[in-house]
Amino acid sequence: MKSRTALCSLFCLVGVCFLSGCEGGSTSPPASKLPVSNEVAATLGQPAGMANVPESALSTPNPYANDPQAVTAGKTLYIKMNCASCHAYNGTGNMGPDLTDASWRYGGLPIEIYTSIHDGRPKGMPAWGNALPPSEIWKLVAYIQSFGGSTPASAYRHAREGDTPGEQVAPEMSSSPPPASASSGP
Amino acid sequence: MPATKFVPKRAPACQVAFLRPGEARFARGNTRLKSAWKMGALLALVTSAFIGNADEPPGAPLPQPAATNLSGATINFAPNDPGSEWHSPARDYANSRYSPLQQINVGNVGRLRVAWTFSDGTLHGHEAAPLVVGNTMYVVTPFPDMLYALDLTKPGGSIKWTFKPNPSSMAVGKACCDAVTRGVAYANGKLIYNLLDDHTVAVDAKTGKEVWRIKMDNLKTGATMTMAPLVVGNKVFVGNSGGEMGAQGWVAAIDVNTGKELWRAYNTGSDKRALIGADFKPFYSWMKGKDLGINSWPAGMWKHGGATVWGWISYDPESNLIYYGTSNPSPRVPAQRPGDNLWATTIFARDADTGMARWAYQTTPHDEWDYDAANEDLLMDLPVGGKTRKVLIHFDRNAYAYTIDRLTGEVLRATPFASMNWSTGFDMKTGRPIVNPDEEPRPGIKLPNLCPSDLGGKEWPPSAISPRTGLIYAGILNVCMDLANHEVGYIASTPYDGMEIGRHPASGGNLGEFMAWNPATGKKAWSIKEKFMTMSGVLATAGDVVFYGTADGWFRAVDARSGKVLWSHKLGSGVIGLPITYLGPDHRQYVAIYSGVGGNARVPVDKSLAGFPAEGGTLYVFSIDGDAVGMGPGVKPANASSSAKP
Repeated sequence: MKSRTALCSLFCLVGVCFLSGCEGGSTSPPASKLPVSNEVAATLGQPAGMANVPESALSTPNPYANDPQAVTAGKTLYIKMNCASCHAYNGTGNMGPDLTDASWRYGGLPIEIYTSIHDGRPKGMPAWGNALPPSEIWKLVAYIQSFGGSTPASAYRHAREGDTPGEQVAPEMSSSPPPASASSGP
Repeated sequence: MPATKFVPKRAPACQVAFLRPGEARFARGNTRLKSAWKMGALLALVTSAFIGNADEPPGAPLPQPAATNLSGATINFAPNDPGSEWHSPARDYANSRYSPLQQINVGNVGRLRVAWTFSDGTLHGHEAAPLVVGNTMYVVTPFPDMLYALDLTKPGGSIKWTFKPNPSSMAVGKACCDAVTRGVAYANGKLIYNLLDDHTVAVDAKTGKEVWRIKMDNLKTGATMTMAPLVVGNKVFVGNSGGEMGAQGWVAAIDVNTGKELWRAYNTGSDKRALIGADFKPFYSWMKGKDLGINSWPAGMWKHGGATVWGWISYDPESNLIYYGTSNPSPRVPAQRPGDNLWATTIFARDADTGMARWAYQTTPHDEWDYDAANEDLLMDLPVGGKTRKVLIHFDRNAYAYTIDRLTGEVLRATPFASMNWSTGFDMKTGRPIVNPDEEPRPGIKLPNLCPSDLGGKEWPPSAISPRTGLIYAGILNVCMDLANHEVGYIASTPYDGMEIGRHPASGGNLGEFMAWNPATGKKAWSIKEKFMTMSGVLATAGDVVFYGTADGWFRAVDARSGKVLWSHKLGSGVIGLPITYLGPDHRQYVAIYSGVGGNARVPVDKSLAGFPAEGGTLYVFSIDGDAVGMGPGVKPANASSSAKP
């Protein structure tokens, strides 16, 4: 368990640093040497990359998910880093959005929450990638996941398409692509 | 500006009020108006209560009988803008929010109906007042801070131009209390206002083109700008927001014509930065001394000490002083900043030309509860102890109503006007409130039922005063809080805060209350309890009708003397804006108000109640029977096709 967590942290560190360029004091290898495809880069928080991304990138789980100690550590960070003043001590939002409900401006998958914390967001969310190591960011994500509003990594595809568990699916929208002749334009 | 011909620009307001009934009687129908006006001035001179319009309900008291001024307060309505228009959020330097119009009055206000509406395409809290200059209405939206010019001569107030300043979206997440603006000021053919991203901008009122823009602060420090500027002569006074973020508070004067900064006074730091010099004479000794903006703080803490200027600025033309209040000190956790924390939670009087401080008065020394002093200062002359004093009246968030000598800073009276337990009394000798030691928060201790809450006994929306009744009208709050403090570290552009707050209604269960306050006695004349917060500005008129709104979207008209609700209308969203009234090009009186809940009215104590509305962004304009240019049965809009197909 422990080794899997460490491995996963390493993967995420590498992946996220590739995206941000890891400016300023990071110990990870230079981005140019990393074997990460452009497809993965396009996936994280970028809808333009939706069409052809490997789903595995979005399904990246939080290595600390369901780890009570990490959740506690995440809560401490949540208060220390002033997250609580923006998103409220109970996470229901204030200056920043509610983190306890199912509505996510930039996606509620663990990796999307990670990216929001790491890179910041244009409506005022600061970028914490230079201030916090990946492990600490994942602990913050674990605490946010404990609010119950986030999307499980396993539901990444459904989340992307706005599906909810157990919903009906029109026959035309079933997984097999419709025959070409069925479509005659708008 | 055709309307100006009706009202001499320099006419004292009492005259204006007297002349108005002439128009009032002939306001129902365009065709009759012109000839009616010609006779209006003459009729006004011989006016009596019995020259009524046939359309008025029988017995409608027109014109208003002379009201009894219950307090003896008199107001200087400088700059004496035309009575038919509305050029600044408060209408005048004294912050009266009083209109001399009286077509709409206690007798007919019950017939107010929607004349037209305008959706501005934005959400967030709508906290601003519309302005009316000539035949154009100007409305400013919350972020992205757009400015619309609406042509009042056209049916439905069609858009003349739209100004889109394109502020940085980063600002949205730096604003403590929603991405709001509190308004725009008109001067010299320009509309001047602050963008949330720390720029002040001037826009040509005719063309909608930007005239100048100046960067006044930096989002990286957590500062934003939300307040409405005040213009006096060729100067516009502005200040910043960000007391929750550890920003450094300041007030500044900008040249109206060039957009250049003329002076700036910081509200923390050295006397030099604070523009405190030889002329500075605070009334109380504890505010005298060198560099108190540094020395009343732990070492260096003043640098992120807040004391921002996000509320209202008043101006006294006689003394040439501006008045404004500063925000809470940062961080909001008091244990981290022992000392009085000057000049946070302080009312300042400054020379308008130089910015040099004349006096200061700190309402809540070492503020422990987030009681900013940013609320409006109403200027009036008032009999106090048998003598007429030049005073300012200030309903502080700390729930004391202050009567202060506006030339010296001496507190003449301090009386609670809302639920309060943080203070057990007021020491008139020292000018300091007596703090209840049981209600002082410390990290690690949860204090239940502290009153008022951080929203204050009254929030920022400005009150109004009527010179006819001598009463002040204000929406106040009946909210207490459970408070837990957390130690915080300063991280630039994140909240420097540490207050964990749960709010609940004080005794009575109502969150809001609308009151009439007699400044001579320091007592309420009457009040109306509201289930939801009363967080709107107030409009008082010579028709002896007072207007206010509620967070759940009711807009009401009340008899200024009795407090009887005469009319209510439910708007699409909550009302936290500032109502105004004006005469249209058709010489009809209209009342305008923004609907769009947000700001501090969307906190859980309000939001979680059944009946709390969704966000919105619609201007509502009302008139008697909803009459307006180009509207009504059988009236065809000017631009409609003449051959309508079935």
